[in-house]
Amino acid sequence: MKFPPAAKNRVATDDQYDPVFLHARREALFILGLFAACVTWSIFVCYNYGYLDPGEERAVIRTILGMPSWVFWGIAVPWVVVDIATVWFCFFFMVDDDLGEAHEGDDLAEQIEHMHEREEARHD
Amino acid sequence: MTERALTPMLLLAQSTAASNSAIVTFAIYILGVLGLAWLSSRLLLKKQFLSEYFLGSRSLGVWAFALTFAATSASGGSFIGFPSLVYTHGWIVALWIGSYMVVPIFTMGLLGKRINQVARKTGAITIPDVLRDRFDSPVFGSLATALIVFFMSFNLIAQFKGGSVILQTLLADVPLFQQTSVFTAGLIKGMPFFGQANPGYLVCLIVFALVVVVYTAYGGFRAVVWTDVLQGLVMVGGVVIMLPLALWQIGGLDKATREMTSTTTPDKVEVRLEIPSPLDKAMVIPNRSWIVEPASESSPRRVFRTAELATVPAGSLAATRFVESKTDDPSRIPAIEITTDFQIERIQATPLDAPVRATVIKSTQHVFGADRKGVYVTGPGPEAGKADGFLPLSLAISFFFMWTFSGAGQPSNMVRLMAFKDSSTLRKAIFTVAIYYSLIYFPLVIIFCCARVLLPGWEAESDRIMPEMTKVLTHAINMPWLAGLLVAAPFAAVMSTMDSFLLMISSALVRDVYQRNINPEASEKTIKRLTYVVTVAVGAAAMLAAVSPPRFLQDIIVFTGSGLSTSFLAPVTLALYWPRFNKAGAISGMAAGFVTHIMLYAVGFLLYGEMRPIEPLNFHPFLIGFAMSLATSIGVALLTAPPPHELVRKFFYRTA
Repeated sequence: MKFPPAAKNRVATDDQYDPVFLHARREALFILGLFAACVTWSIFVCYNYGYLDPGEERAVIRTILGMPSWVFWGIAVPWVVVDIATVWFCFFFMVDDDLGEAHEGDDLAEQIEHMHEREEARHD
Repeated sequence: MTERALTPMLLLAQSTAASNSAIVTFAIYILGVLGLAWLSSRLLLKKQFLSEYFLGSRSLGVWAFALTFAATSASGGSFIGFPSLVYTHGWIVALWIGSYMVVPIFTMGLLGKRINQVARKTGAITIPDVLRDRFDSPVFGSLATALIVFFMSFNLIAQFKGGSVILQTLLADVPLFQQTSVFTAGLIKGMPFFGQANPGYLVCLIVFALVVVVYTAYGGFRAVVWTDVLQGLVMVGGVVIMLPLALWQIGGLDKATREMTSTTTPDKVEVRLEIPSPLDKAMVIPNRSWIVEPASESSPRRVFRTAELATVPAGSLAATRFVESKTDDPSRIPAIEITTDFQIERIQATPLDAPVRATVIKSTQHVFGADRKGVYVTGPGPEAGKADGFLPLSLAISFFFMWTFSGAGQPSNMVRLMAFKDSSTLRKAIFTVAIYYSLIYFPLVIIFCCARVLLPGWEAESDRIMPEMTKVLTHAINMPWLAGLLVAAPFAAVMSTMDSFLLMISSALVRDVYQRNINPEASEKTIKRLTYVVTVAVGAAAMLAAVSPPRFLQDIIVFTGSGLSTSFLAPVTLALYWPRFNKAGAISGMAAGFVTHIMLYAVGFLLYGEMRPIEPLNFHPFLIGFAMSLATSIGVALLTAPPPHELVRKFFYRTA
């Protein structure tokens, strides 16, 4: 595949990128990592300790704080841990960026301008 | 099905412990909602119309932003369908909903900061605006608009119907509602179109639709947000009050779990009900009556609960179903049979005019979990119709991905991310929603595990378990007015979802179709008038469509929700985070997600004859569609020319 030459050397370095973009990307990667950890832990614990084998009966079940132990370790504990991680994320990790002024109507104004330019070009 | 004439006497006989508190609470609540709409309409006069009407002038603070986000995500399903699932399948539903632990940070944090910034750069008001501006592509903007209108129109009709059914369920025992239904039945009899509708349903639909359309059209986004705040507080308040009451009444969670361990699944049966000698007048056997067959030498004590209203005509011995079926024998009354030993001993027969004997004609056991102790406290959970249980491993994984990714990909959530004031608001709102969800979802699992033990025999009508549980809990502390407050939570949940969808469709038609494609130079006055007219017209059309709604209603909600995420999530995420991503990749990624989703459903429809997708390797169709959309987006973007440098510069580089 041949790309237009003008585009080839246009890979920006981090200092050229918008810091809001860089911060948001770093925060998004943390969130994806947190999700991956959650899904792995919860599914592993719940499936290994909470699922019945074919034909199995459990007339007695171990409970912690009144809930089945697999719910406690597989859902309740990670839920609390994620809440703590969320507090840390919100108050110690996520950066307060300036998101800029809203340019209300800019896109529409630009569209109208292009529209007039095209009309003028047609008349010419 | 044909229905006999509804007589006030029979309807009133069906009501049990009826109370008007629900209707009073509902009326107060509606007045509050309309008041908020009036206040927000005052603000509309002072701000730039479209940005205020559809986006609240991008000025939402922490509470407004957090609660509108949370309330929009929590639909009626959270307070009706979800409790019903916990009741029916037990503790395994904690895993089914488990990914809600990470949903707040995922759905708000993943895209929030960037989508808000990008929308500000161009003044975008809708999601199609963002996509159109990001790729400088009117075609892409139009494709996004078309998909939003397509999916959301179906969803709005389904939500209108769902909301009305919930209201009807909650008010079923209220005498005022029953009398209004009887009056409406007389009114619509013989009328074209409306004549076929269930009168009670029609009353609820009209009330619900009128209120939602009026406050949404009148007050716009800010009215929706403020009512969401009210609705969000009602929802969390309901749960926080119910949790200690449920635990107190059951005697602790440990006791509930131990009793659930000994519980076995009930059997679905059809019974013939007979009285020993004929009566002079008809005898009503209300729906949900307990019928007990005493122990005899040949058979142990047996306990049944009817699942339909039945009557024994005067001079007759056998009961017949109140709602007749053209094909079935009317003396076969649907019911469930309790199979758990301690419940069989405890339950007493419902007092009726004469003792009733039951003979089982047909009995059907759960396909997974029948006669197995421990099935309610372990995975995959009991399931009436599927051999691999309620939540086999592949589905458990699917749902973990579904709630998070699908939530992040909903355009109605994305548009809220464009409305917060600054990044400090976003940080605090993520924290607030995390606490909010923790206070709602896990406690709901606990409350309805308690309900499983406190209120046996609701399997046939498990959708009523929420209002029933509120009634029982508040009766125990002698505060029936509180039940009205608690059942307002599901009203709130449905309304907060419906108003957002209505506004999404209206914004797509006014902003994306009319202003950006037909008449960009339309005056603000024209746009304003058109906005009001379109919002009311869309609401009215959806209401009329919901009078005779399409079949497969719940399936339509799932189909549209996952279809939107499948189509939007990958292109929007890549558009915000990958400078190399281009128009070709975005359009083909969105199309690939949409087509895959439709294909999975189309093949499923051909195979099963119902609106059900095929699930390759037992994975949810959302995951397959999303994977296809992501792969196509990346592949096509890499195989085609990079985007123009000016666009990359505009959205990814430092500004001078």
